[in-house]
Amino acid sequence: MKLQAKFTNGTHYRRTSPRILMAGVLLWLAAPSYALEDQSYESLMKWIEDSRPGAETVMPGQHLTEKDRQSLLEPLIPHSAWKYYFFDGMEMEIAATGHYPAPDAWGENMASGYKLDEEGTLVGFTGGGFPFSEINSDDPNAAQKVLWNMLWRPGSNDYNMPMVTWLRSEDGSLDREMEYTSVNTTYARGDKSLVPGYEEVKSKKIMEFRSPRDMAGAKNMTIEYVDHYKEDSGWLYMPAQRKPRRTLASERTGEMMGMDMIREDLNGFGGKVYENNWAYLGKRKVLATVNVSDNPEIGGPSLWVPHKTRWEVRDTHVILIEPKAKDHPYSHRIVFIDAETYWTHWMFAFDKEDDQLLRMAQHFLKYSESYATEPATQSSYVKQDFSKNIGHKVFMHLGETDINAKKPHATITHCHVAKRDFTPARAKQFYSLRNMISGRR
Amino acid sequence: MIMSRNRIALFLSFLSLTLFPAVSWGIVDVTDNLELEGYVKAQNIMRASGLHDGELIQQRNTAQLEGKYYFLEDNKAFGRFSTGPIEEATFTFLARGAYDSVYDIRDSYEDTDDKGKSEYKVREAFVDFLMPPFTLRLGRQQVVWGETDNFRALDVINPLDLSWHWSRESWEDIRIPLWMARGIYDIGKIGPFEESFFELIVIPWDFQPNKVSTDPRHPWAFTGAGLAETANSAIIGDELFDLDLTIRDIRPDRKLRNGQGGFRFKGILGDVGVSLNYFYGISATPGVKVRGDLTQLNLDTQTLSAVVDKVYPRTHVLGLTANYSEDRYTQSVFRLETTLTKGIPVSIAAGAPIGIDSDGDQYDTVRQSVVMLGIDRPTWIKLLNDQRTFFISTQFFWRRYLDHSSFYQGVSSVIPASIGGEVIADRFVSTNTNRLDRDEFVITFSASTSYGRAGRWKPQFVFAYDPRSTGAYNKLVLEYLWTKHIVFKAEQHFYWRESGSEQGPWSLGDLWGEAGNRRNETVFSATFQF
Repeated sequence: MKLQAKFTNGTHYRRTSPRILMAGVLLWLAAPSYALEDQSYESLMKWIEDSRPGAETVMPGQHLTEKDRQSLLEPLIPHSAWKYYFFDGMEMEIAATGHYPAPDAWGENMASGYKLDEEGTLVGFTGGGFPFSEINSDDPNAAQKVLWNMLWRPGSNDYNMPMVTWLRSEDGSLDREMEYTSVNTTYARGDKSLVPGYEEVKSKKIMEFRSPRDMAGAKNMTIEYVDHYKEDSGWLYMPAQRKPRRTLASERTGEMMGMDMIREDLNGFGGKVYENNWAYLGKRKVLATVNVSDNPEIGGPSLWVPHKTRWEVRDTHVILIEPKAKDHPYSHRIVFIDAETYWTHWMFAFDKEDDQLLRMAQHFLKYSESYATEPATQSSYVKQDFSKNIGHKVFMHLGETDINAKKPHATITHCHVAKRDFTPARAKQFYSLRNMISGRR
Repeated sequence: MIMSRNRIALFLSFLSLTLFPAVSWGIVDVTDNLELEGYVKAQNIMRASGLHDGELIQQRNTAQLEGKYYFLEDNKAFGRFSTGPIEEATFTFLARGAYDSVYDIRDSYEDTDDKGKSEYKVREAFVDFLMPPFTLRLGRQQVVWGETDNFRALDVINPLDLSWHWSRESWEDIRIPLWMARGIYDIGKIGPFEESFFELIVIPWDFQPNKVSTDPRHPWAFTGAGLAETANSAIIGDELFDLDLTIRDIRPDRKLRNGQGGFRFKGILGDVGVSLNYFYGISATPGVKVRGDLTQLNLDTQTLSAVVDKVYPRTHVLGLTANYSEDRYTQSVFRLETTLTKGIPVSIAAGAPIGIDSDGDQYDTVRQSVVMLGIDRPTWIKLLNDQRTFFISTQFFWRRYLDHSSFYQGVSSVIPASIGGEVIADRFVSTNTNRLDRDEFVITFSASTSYGRAGRWKPQFVFAYDPRSTGAYNKLVLEYLWTKHIVFKAEQHFYWRESGSEQGPWSLGDLWGEAGNRRNETVFSATFQF
């Protein structure tokens, strides 16, 4: 099947240039598979266009290694990631493709009357379910609809999330380690807000650093609004200043705190829909760490990628995002979003300078109900009651790896998520500017 | 001996907790409820007045220990006693010990009085209570109001210790914490305001002035624009007298009548963060009253016995702040702070008309206003850094004496005594030709970013400029996060002026960039953090 999609503004996305095509032909003559080192946008597009394997190509219970690479793994791991995910000694455990029901009342309390405007921006939606129950590949707004379902997916908030992040060089050496906790609550819950009177708020988040000491006690609060056109409000408390400082939300393209990601990379895409052109590239099966038993072991020669963990073949919507801004660092971003759960599995962003891979991310998830049989590891600095996760029927974000291919460098994060329900009164007090005027010192 | 062993054991226990934490390289969990963190730091400062000279003026070794004890959680204290509406409570302490070994290394500091050589104190100790929607912090603490960085307008609640490195250190480390109660009532939405709260501060008895060294033997003594000497003479007519100056520090005692306090209402109005502040305080900068009634001239001994009182007038500070994140056109955060302060002490030149100096004590209090406009902007300069933005922050600070007189004077200077054009050896007199301008301005600019694969190289550039005196200050900083525990920092401070000889009020190059008083410095520090 050849891709016929085009950006929703009518422009076709860029096709293979003759020069790259010639290089591709020569490459094809030389080897039957894609070149490991080729991390161009074109090669990933070609990989997406080419064979679309079925789930039957791998079998539950298989433990796949480097020798299975060409026959089984290459069709299921996005081409740009091969360089990192295929290595001597690699091991992937294949599990049956699961069905993961959404929360019981999901979709039953949604407000009506929402729509996509001419920019593809969702207007008037207040949560409580997926805004778009069907994704039709012929729909010119299919890519945006997938994205909106991802942004309003169940389980994206309402947790305590202690995290540890390792920043590693290509030789595996640890450059920096950070510990921090994110607490996050959904306000917009369909036909009502968690806190009456705060109907304009989508969610609120407070994140506080615990280590290293030069960052300990720094915390920020972010208010995200239902109105996508309104920028987030944010405040940053720095212990050295002993006061909160208003922050700017609209700068999303600089690396954060030395990590190998930009704010716009969060969850595959954390930017503004109207700042980009969109194209839907169809569905594609990929391997994903969608219901891991625990925070995965990290392996590979650089200690950048999950190793000896559980993978599933998942159907994903593949969307292509092209930033409109001329000074944006990315030429294209390709995101693989689960077709059932709408969580992001893979994200690839390409350098505007040369269309080569600049950054990529892969996410580790765990379904809440699996905590009944496979409790996850506690974080090193706080103990939580994971049994509270059971019954929510949502995914927990157990971490991710973010790789900057150009540096090269990676940021690997383990999250230890416990669901947390706030009462309206407690949420009002906790997520307040009052809580940001002082800190641990 | 036993005591020594116990001390050694205690020290080793502390080391084992801090240097070899089992699970974390940030905060150390001593128990489930007690956390420790801190650092040990060595800071060396070389001062160079020119290109070919330099002297070590500081070798400050600091150990800081910070702790937090979570003794009340989920409405239960110590896991057993019900506390009713109190949901959470913690006890926080911050203790610091500092020893400046330069006082023992350098011969020239041997005859100083050892002030500034060492410090050992619990700087902060407070208990936080959470009783939604009310929070209360009781104890010795710092409170910072306002939008201004590193200049005093609303950030006047805690005095500053300027004695060991002026204001060139992080203000967190030089604010003098005070015993106070800080209560905050969270309001949330009210009328047109969102995220609003009301804050009340009560400082029942703890008044402390800014700490400034005026002893010229100390490296960071504040001695004005003249010589680093103490005035020991006075010239009356054409006659030289010994000066016997008595300074009486009329500091408010620790009585409730000398209490301080204030309130703040803060919220979001539209998209603009605003606050209204009021603080009823006592000036941390003293005024000087010349006690003419106690001054005596002894012609027999050729001595002028003068008495001055250091007084601390009551102040009223009324302030308004605003901040706004403008995302569309400028992608900048705008900060505004305005204050009106009543009770600022000023010195009046001798011989001023009675209408200006009605008490004849060369002292008065005046009203002063401040307007600060600041802009913060994360900015791409891809030529210099294509991975991360620069955080650029700039401020324009305008201070105005609402009650101004041309007889108001600034800091005095010490000059050699001379009679009939002849300089007299080892005799120094105090003089003051420094008149206060009605309007004072300073502009600041800073830019910082990070380099390296994990952002461990952190440069910073700072610039401050007084357009009236043309005095300027530059700071270049490079911090390197070498390992998880060890941080190195190098700084270069430059004081310079563009032209002229006028002295401004900001202690920039107009004061410390002049020959004989130049304080350009190179700072190296190494920190072990845990």
